[in-house]
Amino acid sequence: MAFTGDFLCTSFKQEILVKEHDFTLTTGDSFKIALYDDTATLTAATTVYVTGGELAATGNYTTTGQALTNVTPVTSGTTAIVDFVDEVFSTATFSAMGALIYNDTHASDAAVAVLDFVTLKTATAGDFTIQFPVADATNAIIRIA
Amino acid sequence: MFDNGGSSLKVGAVTVATTQNTGLSVEYWADRCLDKILYVANDSASPIKDQAQAYKEDIRRVLVAYIGQAIKSDRTTLYNLLLRQSQGDMAEILRKEL
Repeated sequence: MAFTGDFLCTSFKQEILVKEHDFTLTTGDSFKIALYDDTATLTAATTVYVTGGELAATGNYTTTGQALTNVTPVTSGTTAIVDFVDEVFSTATFSAMGALIYNDTHASDAAVAVLDFVTLKTATAGDFTIQFPVADATNAIIRIA
Repeated sequence: MFDNGGSSLKVGAVTVATTQNTGLSVEYWADRCLDKILYVANDSASPIKDQAQAYKEDIRRVLVAYIGQAIKSDRTTLYNLLLRQSQGDMAEILRKEL
């Protein structure tokens, strides 16, 4: 099954209301981003990090993905926003169709967001870079309006 | 009457940048860095927008210069690391790139 869009995981929406996620820089939880091919079945119903469809540990990809660098959440107008520093998979030789951000500190590796790259993205002995959107009230990766 | 403002929890869209047989350029990273430091909204008032764009371009030039210097410094470090490992030929390849 292909990726069908970007989703904030439904379980995540509940979990932030019971203090299970902390996006604070340095002292917050550790979030990771894992990459997947087109066989992954990630949707809003995804609740935890899954291995099905994840890229194999080849071409300089490490299974479970890479740790993200948090940016402490701020507000913009009446919207609270979360951002991360762009993440680079260096000297990469692989293709990916999407990604999952999950909380690596959480006991169950709770899922945060499913990201659909729309088309297959390929790097060959190069950089595979995830660019996070502008951290404002209309574009940020996670927004509570 | 109260208006709840249509509150919602939303996710943004990431972009993926990839390269083949090379890394990303200094200019690419300067632009990404700038986007994190300073965002000029398209609907900003014209005089303010123009000023902000000019300021952004000034910062961009500084970032390109300093990121380039940081890369050169790192290559110097790598050059010496390779020399200490008796990898003179490889060190020389890096030195020529300085």
